[in-house]
This record gives sequence, C-alpha cells and structure tokens, in this order.
Amino acid sequence: MAAVCPVGFDIHKLKDEVRRTYASVATDPSREFHFHRGPEYAARQLGYDFDELSRLPRLVTEPFAGVGNPFKMGRLSPGASVVDIGSGGGMDCLIAGSDVGPTGRVIGIDMTDEMLARARSGAAQMGMNHVRFEKADMETLPLEDKSVDVVISNGVINLAPDKPAVFAEIYRVLRPGGRLQFADIIIGRELSEDARNNIDLWAG
Amino acid sequence: MITEAGFREVALRDSFDSFLGTNKESTARKFGVMGANVVAYK
Repeated sequence: MAAVCPVGFDIHKLKDEVRRTYASVATDPSREFHFHRGPEYAARQLGYDFDELSRLPRLVTEPFAGVGNPFKMGRLSPGASVVDIGSGGGMDCLIAGSDVGPTGRVIGIDMTDEMLARARSGAAQMGMNHVRFEKADMETLPLEDKSVDVVISNGVINLAPDKPAVFAEIYRVLRPGGRLQFADIIIGRELSEDARNNIDLWAG
Repeated sequence: MITEAGFREVALRDSFDSFLGTNKESTARKFGVMGANVVAYK
C-alpha cells in the first residue's frame, strides 16, 4: 500500500468518497461493488467460523467487507481492552466482544454514520454493553495514551490518506507490550503514477 | 512504515485471495493485490 497520498491529491475528496462508498454498503450490502461482502464470503475465503457468524445479527454480518481475518492470529483474552479501527457494521467487534466478555471492553471506530447505526443496533441485539462505537477518523482516535491491549482492523488502513499517521496513532493508544493484529491489502508490484492518482482505486 | 512507528516483531502471517470472484479480480492479479494478516507489538 502507498504510504501517503500523492502531492496535490484532494484528501477531503478521498475521505468523502470512502464515506460515500461505505454508506452505500451499509444501506444496501447486496448491491454490486468491486469487493466481496457478507458472512458467506468471510467463511469461504477468509476462514471465519460460519457457525460463529450465524449467531450474530445479519445486520452486522451483511455489510462485512474485510480482506483478511485478524482472529486467525489469535483470539482475544477475557478482560482485554480492544479497539477496532474502521469497525464498519461491527462484525469483528462483536466477535471480539464475545472473546473478551463483560469484564473486557471493545471500542469500534468508524467515520460512516450508516455503518455505526448498524453496529450499535447489533451490539444492542446481542446485549453486549461492553462493546461501544465511536465516530472518528483513524488518524485521531478518541482514546487515552497506552489505554488499549489489542488493536484490530480489517481492510481499512489502506483507505487512509496518511498511513504513517494511522500507525503512529495506534502506537500511541496501545499499552507497552500491546498487540496490533490487522488484515489489509498488500500490493506485490509498484503502482503506476496513473493508478496512484486514481481516486476510485483509493476509495474502494 | 509499521516499524517506523515504533512497532517490533512485525510479521506477515497469512494471505488471502480476497478479490477472487469480484469484478476487479483481473486488476488485483495484475498488480499482485491480496489480503494479508499482519501482527506487530509495541
């Protein structure tokens, strides 16, 4: 993934485009997009446990659009404090909420109102009072320094215009010894200048 | 980028053919785009 936007790239336009794309996913996950969504995809291609996903409300699993599976790197300990960067419909947060239990806490961060609405409804349906969602950009997390045990994320950091700022912010909120376990897209070849300047490739 | 933020023991753990079956499958293949799990410690 490219570290930062090319010089002259309109960051506000990019963020608006990302927000618009994922608002559309939240509003109608069954529409045609250039990325997969939903629990069937998550189980078939990413190794999620379909039975576990089936126990979650469809309103959180339908808009799932991750690109990997942070939980393959280890499940979360009871009582842990977890943050999900770009929590979307909340699927990974509810899985994390089940792992950490009521003595832990999970905070989902997202900038799309439509996704936050789904996620909050899902947590309420599951009775997970220890899972909450905050509207914020990933470059400015509304969290204290060294306050989190684990940060997860799935297919979101690649959308940030300034990725070094995101990793610095994650580092700030993690406690010493804390863990970042995330999934994202990687690119095997250097992108052309045209591709780097194509907002559609950044926003999706 | 991740180590520059201060993280240690950064490791790529798994990869996923996340765009298989989408309308961007050929573009993803052209640029070697795939999903990946990454772990790092503070």
